Amino acid sequence: MDGPDVTFSALVAARLLVAYAPLPEALKHDHQLSSPLTSYSRLREGIYLFDHGIDPYSGGSFRHSPLLLSLFSTVLPLTPYTSPILWTAADAVAAWALVRIWRLRTGAKATSRDGQVAAIYLLNPYIFLPSLALSSSSIENALALLSLMFACRGRASASLLTLACLVHLSLPSVLLLLPTLLLIITRPVSRLALPRPFGADLKRTLPLLAEFVGYGVLLTAASTLVCGNWDWAEKTWGASLTLPDLTPNPGLWWYFFTEMFDHFRPFFLMVFSVHLLIYVVPICIKFQHDILYAAFILIGVLALFKPYPTLSDPGLFLSMFSLFPEIYPYLRHPIVTALIHLHASLLLPLFNSLWLRQGTGNANFFYASTLVFGVGNGAALLDAIWAGLRIAIGKVEDGYEVVQE
Amino acid sequence: MPLALQTLRAIPARLRQRLRGGGDPNAARIRRRQALANKAWQGLPLIKLVLFAVGYLWLLAIPSAQFGQRTYIDENALQPGQVHTYWSWNDVHRADRVLEDLERLRDHNATSDEYVIANYVVGEFEKIGIPARTQHYAFDTVDGVTEGTNAYAVLQSPRASGTEAIVISASWLSRAGDGDGTLNLRGVATVISLAQYLKKYSLWAKDLVFVISDGYLDGMQAWITTYHGAAQPNLHAEPLTLSSGVIWTAVNVDYPGHSFSHLGIFFEGLNGRLPNQDLLNSVSLITRHTGGLPVLVHDHIDPRDTPNQPEILPSWLPDVIKSNPDVQEYAVRARNIVRHMNYQARGAASGVHGLLHQFRIDAITVFAVPATGPHGFHSLGKILESSLRTMNNLLERLHASFFFFLLVGPGTFMKIGSYLPSVILVGTAMLFSGLGEWVNAGWTLAAPPIGSDEKKEPSQASGATWVQRPRPVLLAVSIMAATHLLGVVLFYVVSSRLVNATVVFMLFSALPALALQLVPLPAPPSAPLATVLKAFNLCFASAVVSITSVLNFSLAAALAVFMGLPLTLASSSPSLPKRIAKYALYSVLALGWLVLCPEETRKAIWNWEVLGVWLAPFICIVYAPLVLQAALVCTLHAQSS
Repeated sequence: MDGPDVTFSALVAARLLVAYAPLPEALKHDHQLSSPLTSYSRLREGIYLFDHGIDPYSGGSFRHSPLLLSLFSTVLPLTPYTSPILWTAADAVAAWALVRIWRLRTGAKATSRDGQVAAIYLLNPYIFLPSLALSSSSIENALALLSLMFACRGRASASLLTLACLVHLSLPSVLLLLPTLLLIITRPVSRLALPRPFGADLKRTLPLLAEFVGYGVLLTAASTLVCGNWDWAEKTWGASLTLPDLTPNPGLWWYFFTEMFDHFRPFFLMVFSVHLLIYVVPICIKFQHDILYAAFILIGVLALFKPYPTLSDPGLFLSMFSLFPEIYPYLRHPIVTALIHLHASLLLPLFNSLWLRQGTGNANFFYASTLVFGVGNGAALLDAIWAGLRIAIGKVEDGYEVVQE
Repeated sequence: MPLALQTLRAIPARLRQRLRGGGDPNAARIRRRQALANKAWQGLPLIKLVLFAVGYLWLLAIPSAQFGQRTYIDENALQPGQVHTYWSWNDVHRADRVLEDLERLRDHNATSDEYVIANYVVGEFEKIGIPARTQHYAFDTVDGVTEGTNAYAVLQSPRASGTEAIVISASWLSRAGDGDGTLNLRGVATVISLAQYLKKYSLWAKDLVFVISDGYLDGMQAWITTYHGAAQPNLHAEPLTLSSGVIWTAVNVDYPGHSFSHLGIFFEGLNGRLPNQDLLNSVSLITRHTGGLPVLVHDHIDPRDTPNQPEILPSWLPDVIKSNPDVQEYAVRARNIVRHMNYQARGAASGVHGLLHQFRIDAITVFAVPATGPHGFHSLGKILESSLRTMNNLLERLHASFFFFLLVGPGTFMKIGSYLPSVILVGTAMLFSGLGEWVNAGWTLAAPPIGSDEKKEPSQASGATWVQRPRPVLLAVSIMAATHLLGVVLFYVVSSRLVNATVVFMLFSALPALALQLVPLPAPPSAPLATVLKAFNLCFASAVVSITSVLNFSLAAALAVFMGLPLTLASSSPSLPKRIAKYALYSVLALGWLVLCPEETRKAIWNWEVLGVWLAPFICIVYAPLVLQAALVCTLHAQSS
């Protein structure tokens, strides 16, 4: 074993140790760490109902994908002893995929930054805490990174199957489809500093798209077979589109829709959902020379505007910064972004407890802190876009400035 | 006319010209941005100074008579003081009888271990016809076992299903002297006789729960934790066999003296939580109008109203100042605020009521300030009867009035907006200092290379240019993380109390400096570690101060005082003895409490173990490491910058 592998194993072992430490049960019910779509207790409840012959999708509490339901009710039973291992494994796989992506990007077999890249994923509190709370968003993150990793390696089928699974678990992740398809037919090396028109033949994506649709149909058929009816589609995918559960989360949707009159609801649901889609094509065009970067930006968009986010989503985006060290000198306001995140990450739990535990605050307190958090994520996203474009101009001489017209 | 029109038309263009300047708009924008950045950078020392000055002065100005407004009742359902009270001298007589019994028990040295007091109380409640039980409890602490027996009774509401409840409590030990052994016999007698009296009426829409808790704070903590089924590992308490509904409000009676002159209101709860102001305002309104006696914040009697009271102002002040009404008002208010901040910053409860706050119950203690007269059971009973009727009126939890306030006088309070900015300004000043350090770390003035062009910008007359340099971010963050981890270790060492405090102080103040010697310092082209460490230290400390201020203003104010200027002024020095002296000074600021206030430390740890007050872990894990980081900044030898 060489250096990076030792670091990696040590980090995973430390994570496992913490996962088995006696943690407060309240962690699993924390609104910031797990959403109604990813909550562990709801998953357990759904499995219990399923095992006892009751359709878990007939109620209103279980919104996990049938894939997770069938996986955890047959092959991998969820017990207090196995779950920490499974979730730590998901994080380890994700971190490993991130390191692989980094190596593929640099073209080296092993680099000195490998350990650092893994540490930035495994020690990121935004990823660490949801994983301790056994939120299934950790699994989604692992799938997203695996899919990107396979795409970087050019292994089309593996990448598309992973992506199809991810979309089954969380519908908004369909945003990653276009960059993944483009990434499969290009190479993940950094061309941020040397932009050029898209080189590969776009027609090659069509069979890949068909393959993805095929996997999607297959998984849908399997899910319907498992459940015996189509109710699951409305309860899992439908939740992302119609927002039936307004349990608070660190995202921007819930408060908006608690305040809304019912007759405006369909319209704004449409606006919020379509709004997510409008980023895909422009970002893929702008970063056509480096599609991995486009995928990174779109993950940032998801983290900011997803319907049921947990802290894992911004965590994935922030950890992926480690893949692009070349942009660091061109970031405009990294310290400001970091400070907003610092304040937001302290304010979120504080205002949540002022509202729901102490009872001295109210929903507006928590909403204000989610807004601060949104500003932090938005600042990080804008800065990433700026730096990704700015790097192409390179260093300017003294007395010159770069201007955007 | 056309000329005038032309002139008029030219105005917008000229305005634009004036505002934006001529030429390329992009160039103008860049120029404007640079000018703004230059202004900000040049003005930074002044901005910092102004922010610090205004912040600290604002803190000092909080007690001044210009601030504050009259209290008012916000919740319409409360209707305080609108009922006729029927508490009479007969009931006072019954209270006297109970008191005689209690005094007999006291004289026979009855202890709680034998359940004598609790059994007597249960017997009294059962005589009245209210179901009552005892509850034995024991807390394991580092100091040993604290145990006792509570007695409680539940009067079922005659009019409703008992889904809500009001608690009327009295602890065996009074809060006078913070539970040092003063007995609250009259408080207990009041609650028992009140129970007998209240049972006669059928108007109660909420269950009335009477609790006579043993000890000072420990008894109620055991009772309320068990009532809510909250697990506390070091508490062994019998389960409660009588149950009731959700407790919305509670009033705790404390009457340690023979009779009383004023009614004091204590309201600070655990971890700085305050009850809704409507509760305080209602009880003080009822006290003034129904009870006919003056109300106090805490037990502070205003020397201007009452003769023979000790002066607040120091005697060496000249009479001109002492007789100034504004100064007197300032002194009176300052005394209330300082007392309040002392409780809140420590996260300590100012009475038994404070324990109920952790379960979202709005509660206060009414304290009969000991005096030779003229009030007794008669006034207190009337006030409590009317207050309970007011609480009985509630249709939902108290929510309308303020949860964040400073009570500067019995009828005057300050809204959060009028005192919070003081601490936030200090926090902002720290943030700006941190950002300034961050910029300092990233840029350095380099001498011009020999034989360079002379065509430099006129502003750089010296010929030196600003050169960017790398900053050791990862190293600084790791050092900060390490000090906070050291804080966790410190907390375990301090709370287990296995090691002598002086040894802990020496060990933990020396350890960071020694460990730093092992860290390879970044080589000269990159920024000195001290600058980056100081930048991050200030930014993090500023975030801690600003965010704590929303939760617990008094603690944030204390942090602003202890960390604001010291952390900003931390700097290295070329001479070694000076550096060591500075390091020692900061170590004392960080960990001096271990040696200087052992009693305070013991209390804080007891509060953490038994009541869950997070002051002790906060000081160990957040405050001390932050100041130690500043100490480390002082030891690091600054490279040429």
